Parts: sequence; structure tokens; C-alpha cells
Amino acid sequence: MAKQKFIDAVRGKRTETAPWVPYAGVHCAFLINEPADKYLQDPELLAKGLVETAKKYQADGIPLVFDLSIEADSLGCELKWWPDNVPSVTTHPCTEKTPAEVGLTMPTRESGRWPILFEAARIARPQLDELDCALIGGICGPLTLASHLAGVRIFTDVYKHKDFAQNICAFAGEVGAVAAGFYAEMGCDVIAIIDPVASQIKSETFKEFVTPHVEKTIQVINDAGCTSDFFICGDATKVLKDVCELNTHGFAIDEQLNMNFVRDLAREHGKGFGGNLKLTLALSLGLLSPREDAIVSLAAGGHVGYTFAPG
Amino acid sequence: MAEKIKIDVLTLDSVQCAACGYMMESIAALPDDIQDMIEYTEWSIKTKEGIGKFMELKGKVLPTICIEGDCVFESIIPQYEKLIDEMAKRAPTDSMRESLGSLRDQGFDFSKVQQNLENAGAGQKTKAG
Repeated sequence: MAKQKFIDAVRGKRTETAPWVPYAGVHCAFLINEPADKYLQDPELLAKGLVETAKKYQADGIPLVFDLSIEADSLGCELKWWPDNVPSVTTHPCTEKTPAEVGLTMPTRESGRWPILFEAARIARPQLDELDCALIGGICGPLTLASHLAGVRIFTDVYKHKDFAQNICAFAGEVGAVAAGFYAEMGCDVIAIIDPVASQIKSETFKEFVTPHVEKTIQVINDAGCTSDFFICGDATKVLKDVCELNTHGFAIDEQLNMNFVRDLAREHGKGFGGNLKLTLALSLGLLSPREDAIVSLAAGGHVGYTFAPG
Repeated sequence: MAEKIKIDVLTLDSVQCAACGYMMESIAALPDDIQDMIEYTEWSIKTKEGIGKFMELKGKVLPTICIEGDCVFESIIPQYEKLIDEMAKRAPTDSMRESLGSLRDQGFDFSKVQQNLENAGAGQKTKAG
């Protein structure tokens, strides 16, 4: 296990071999025979799942949680809990009014599940250090958090009610910067902004509603001496150049992108890149051979700035 | 029963994947009058049935909203009006097309989203197998 190798790769540097990062999320709960809903609300179970998963998979890095409802939860959105999945956000407080108009304020260390994450990190961090495994903090990106706050109307508002959409995304970006500070305090080595819905918009919309609202968050991460990353899901082809132009050290993508295209764009911009293992087709469904998929990914990723990880 | 517009949403899993979740919500948050005109289903690629539907509809990316068998919104969460327009184009009757046109300015209604998602079975059939 090699924490520094992972950090180097995210920073776009050459590594002897590709570091390996399982974005285990609630799979950690499965590995310790606990339901996801219980696991995500218990710091001791979180730490246990994290450390056992890191050991089992000999991970070079592992996310503290992979749950994009943390920020929304701490802002008062209601959640639906699942025994085998992350919670879903079921209410949107800003479908009619701006965050200021409904009285939303920045989360504190005491809001929502932040105390659980602080405690889980406190327990897990020394054990992960012993394993030489990096801890990853994952922030809900501004457009995904804006969706949690305003609901699906945000994707219409970015065209029709730009002031409203900017207001929501700006608030979400401020929350992201606060979350970045929390993860830095927890001792995360790599802090990723995770904005899956940012792949579901046009490039112009990305530049207008995502790029400006991650700047402060990235600055908080970089100023804290941590390594910054941007995770995007889905078919992000149309916005990947915009992702590369963010001020993060690296980015990560999912299984729907062409790895050669991603690698070439990342290298052109001096960014680290990761992901793309076929989580669904190979690891979940077994329609492709996971072994062959891994070989293809490793060959395409190479040894410069590449992290071997599921997509 | 009156004819309805058939909508299939191809997803990874609307619980796990936020993009898939908001694709589903774009349908579930349509106003009541439109809910009466449509019938929609989530097809998670994590199930055999979902893979079958993905192949049948010639899906290319996830998530995708298909209307009357056409992959219309591929990795783009639709604007309200565009969604209405694409449904209207494929409406089975002129009267339904007119009704949809008259609701073009109404906007999303979030009051029954959870109920509508539940009725559509969103998140219920997303287990690999």
C-alpha cells in the first residue's frame, strides 16, 4: 500500500506502478456485514469498515464515505435511507425560494452527520496511516448540491432563471468550501469535489454554473496542502475539457468514457486521472471479464498520473 | 384506459447515481395533468431486465430518457419545456398534444415527487442479478 504513490498520481506525476483506489462507499458496510443505513450513521462502524476494506483490497487510498447527501443532510434536506445503498435526498428546500430566503446557513462541525465523519476519521486515520493508505474526503459538488436544494428545476433555471440558479449554485459552492475545510481538518490527504450531475449539462453551462463555484473549494483544499481532485460520472465527454481546466490537481471519471481520450486530455493539461474500470459491466454484472478489463485499463492509463480505480 | 405516452428511463440506479435520480425526478415532478398522460418506468442496467431494455431501445449512455421508444435525452437532464415539447411530438392524439402545449408554462410540481417515484418503482428494482 502506498499513499504517496496515489498522491503523486493525482498530481499528474510518474509513478512506478499505477496506484489502486477502490471507491468502496457502502460496499465497506457489506464487507463487515452491516446495513448501509446503520453503517453510515455510526462512526465506529464507519472506521471499522474503512480499515477492513483498505486491508482486504490493499488500497493505496480510500474514501471516508462516498455519500453525496452529507452536505444536503446538514442543510436540512430530508433523506430516505436504504439498507444497501446511500441515502437519497427526498425534499428540496429551495424549489421556490433562495437559500437566504428560506434561512439556510453554512453547516458547522455539529450539523447533520459531520460529527460522525469527524469521529470516524479520528478513529480510522491512524490505522490507515499504519497501512500507508491515503484518506479521501468527498465533497458534494455545486451542481449536485444545487439539485438537492432546488430539485430538478435547477436544470431549467440554468437557462430560464439564471439569477436564481446562480444564487443556488453560489450557496452550494460556499458549502463546498466549508466542507473542504472540514475534510482538511479530518486529515484527508486527497479531497475530491464529486459532481455527478455536472456531466448532464452542456459545456457552456458547466463554465457558467460549475467552474466559478468550485474555485473557492479548490483553493481551500490546495491552501491546506491537500491534493485536490474532481470526480465526474456519466458520459462527461462534452465537459471533460472544462473539467481539465479547473484548478484541481486531477480528476476521475466513470466507465462510460474512452480511456485513451481521457488519458490524452489529462496529459495535455498536466492532470492526474483515474477511474474507468467497468463497475457495472464487469464488476457488477460480469458481462465483461474484470481481469481483461483491468488489463485494458492499466495499459491505457500507463504510468503517468494514472490511478487504477473503478468508474 | 386512455392511451398514454410511454417513457422509459435507462439508469445505473436512481438511488446510487444522482444524475439518474434527477433524470427520474424530471418525470416525477411533472404536474398532475401531465402525470395523467404518461406512464414511466426506471430500467436499471444492474438488472437483466434493464440490460434487455437498454439493448431493445438501443441505449448508448446512462442515464437516458426514452419517449415512445426514442432515446431523446442522452446524458442531458432536460429543461421542463424541452421535455414537454418532446412528449408533445410523440403524443398519440392531437388533443393530448394540445393539452401538453397548454401546460408548457406551468413548470415542475414537487408536491408529489416521492409518491410518483414510488408508483414508478424508482429505486425498487436496482439489484444486480
